[in-house]
Amino acid sequence: MTSTSEVTGAGAAASAPAAAWRRAILRSPTLEREVALVLALAVTILIFANASPHFLTAGNAVQILRVSVDLAVISAGMTLLIIMGGIDVGVGGILAVSAIFIGRAYQIDLPVPLVVLIGLSAGALLGAVNGLLCARLRIPPIIATLGTMYIWLAVLFLVIGGQWIAGLPRTLGPLVNGSVFGVPAPLVVVAVVYGGCAILLYGLPFGRHIYAIGCNETAARLAGIDVVRVKVTTYALLGGLAGFAALLYVTRLRNVEINIGTNLALEAIAATILGGASIRGGVGSLLGTLLGVFFIKVIQNGLVLAGVSSLWERVIIGSVLLLVLVVEAVRARRGRSRGAPG
Amino acid sequence: MTSAFAYPLPRSMVRSPLALRVLCLAVLLASILAIMPFVSPFFYQASTLPFLLKYVPVLGLLGMGQALVMIAGGPGIDLSSGAILSLVGLAIAALVAGGTPVPLACLAGLLLGAGLGAVNGTLIAFLGIPSLMATLATLFVFGGLAVAITGGVPLTGLPASFGWLGQATWAGIPVSLIVVLLPVAVLLHVMLTRTTIGSHMIAAGNDEAAARLLGVQVDRLRFALYVLNGTLAALGAIILLSWLLAARPDAGMGFELLAITIAVLGGTHIFGGEGGIPGTILAILIITVLQVGLQLANISPAWQLGIVGLLLLGGVGLNTALEQWRSRSRS
Repeated sequence: MTSTSEVTGAGAAASAPAAAWRRAILRSPTLEREVALVLALAVTILIFANASPHFLTAGNAVQILRVSVDLAVISAGMTLLIIMGGIDVGVGGILAVSAIFIGRAYQIDLPVPLVVLIGLSAGALLGAVNGLLCARLRIPPIIATLGTMYIWLAVLFLVIGGQWIAGLPRTLGPLVNGSVFGVPAPLVVVAVVYGGCAILLYGLPFGRHIYAIGCNETAARLAGIDVVRVKVTTYALLGGLAGFAALLYVTRLRNVEINIGTNLALEAIAATILGGASIRGGVGSLLGTLLGVFFIKVIQNGLVLAGVSSLWERVIIGSVLLLVLVVEAVRARRGRSRGAPG
Repeated sequence: MTSAFAYPLPRSMVRSPLALRVLCLAVLLASILAIMPFVSPFFYQASTLPFLLKYVPVLGLLGMGQALVMIAGGPGIDLSSGAILSLVGLAIAALVAGGTPVPLACLAGLLLGAGLGAVNGTLIAFLGIPSLMATLATLFVFGGLAVAITGGVPLTGLPASFGWLGQATWAGIPVSLIVVLLPVAVLLHVMLTRTTIGSHMIAAGNDEAAARLLGVQVDRLRFALYVLNGTLAALGAIILLSWLLAARPDAGMGFELLAITIAVLGGTHIFGGEGGIPGTILAILIITVLQVGLQLANISPAWQLGIVGLLLLGGVGLNTALEQWRSRSRS
């Protein structure tokens, strides 16, 4: 790879890792969004705490963490992908197919490490297929991932038909239900995944290549970045994370059912955008995404505890998303000099 | 597939990617129709025809709306059209249940569809929010509202006379296809190919900056197209309502993805500037023929999903291949 110092773009200009970190944290274009999300999360928690005495308890906090972990893991990969200017609307299908592989592997009594390996590599492989379709065949990401989603869903239907794969063992249970030195395991899992992605994104040349492609793909190519390789790797990374999420899902619920993974992609995209990423690429924040995930899951959990029909959850998430987008658009309009191209 | 056509094609067709596209789709449809009797002996029975064409109007309206939104560029996409369909269906059913005369309720439904489309249009064309993000948010809001207001329970109690539009057939062809889809398709085709609006749409999709410099009101145009798409979704809601005589809160769920599939398969470029109504109609026919044929042959519905996926990827792959082939044959 060529020296990356020649690659310049928003949030990707610094050459020394330390400077990159400082820039990422202090001069992040998404800092404001993160602060706003923390405030919004705090207000939401206050409202729900008033509405239900069961909301603000340690047990419920751990419960929220447990059900957030699969979405959180996938959203981390989605953030990298959206920063790169890509998108995956079919990640739920990848999770579903990985879950089938995991379920079948459990059923034929493979050792646990092998099950984990199968789940992760199945996801990564399916993700890489998306990456190849987008990067090599130049199919727009939304179309490519939509097309593969239909195919993976067909696989799901054909393999498990009307039946569930049920009664799977809880050998990986500690990953979701356990704790490490008193810290709930889901929190550790989320910290490891987000920490890893943060190192990848802010600490390694690979992360700067992602930003560079998201800002200007042609310029990135001319600067000597192997665009195809970076794209395929990023799609495969999201796929691998979806495989990991499938492991967590199977561990948590101990079955694979036919509607596994529906809505997952849209929720992950919503969390990522809520967290400050732009679908146009080049902008995004892992911390913001994580806050977005918690925001979605806190609303889902709080509505149930407050006795409001959980059917309102999508309306609330959509409205907040809309509010965020409109505020940002209005501010961008005001900030831009008249007549400048958008 | 493309190289076989290399010589017999007139040069004008090589120059016009859309005509070539329509030809490819027609050949594909013909070959599927030729294969179908081997898949299911029941396919060429007279009773199959109304069954086959029943799905076409609703999907057709959504697919054409999606195609128009895409053609005008931006890039344009509407993920919320299925949710608009659900919400409008519920609104009409609720109005009729409340004593409003059916025609008035349908008119209100069309206005609601246009209004919801106008929300999308405002967000995208006037506020400059990327269409994918804006309509993802409105998909959540509209679709969520449809489910939340009703508590997930379908609304029924529509008069049986209302079923005429969606259920009756003339000579085996559904009334809704003749009365609604065909006129709308012709109208939209004329609009796209014979009017300034159409050339402005294609100009805006091809090169937005140039279109603006030429005085095309790109923002207003795109706004109007989202309103149109909302109205078409509302029209689809009326047909679906009349067909089922019940409004399900999740009636349009997943339709947006099918609509996108149809538009793209029909030759509409996802980044705009290219596309047409004939290709879209052929794409709808291909998808419904496949679905019905596989159903008749008692093949798992899963294969339908898989084939739709393959067609989508194949369709776009074909586009890319055609583009490369044309640029080669030009030089």
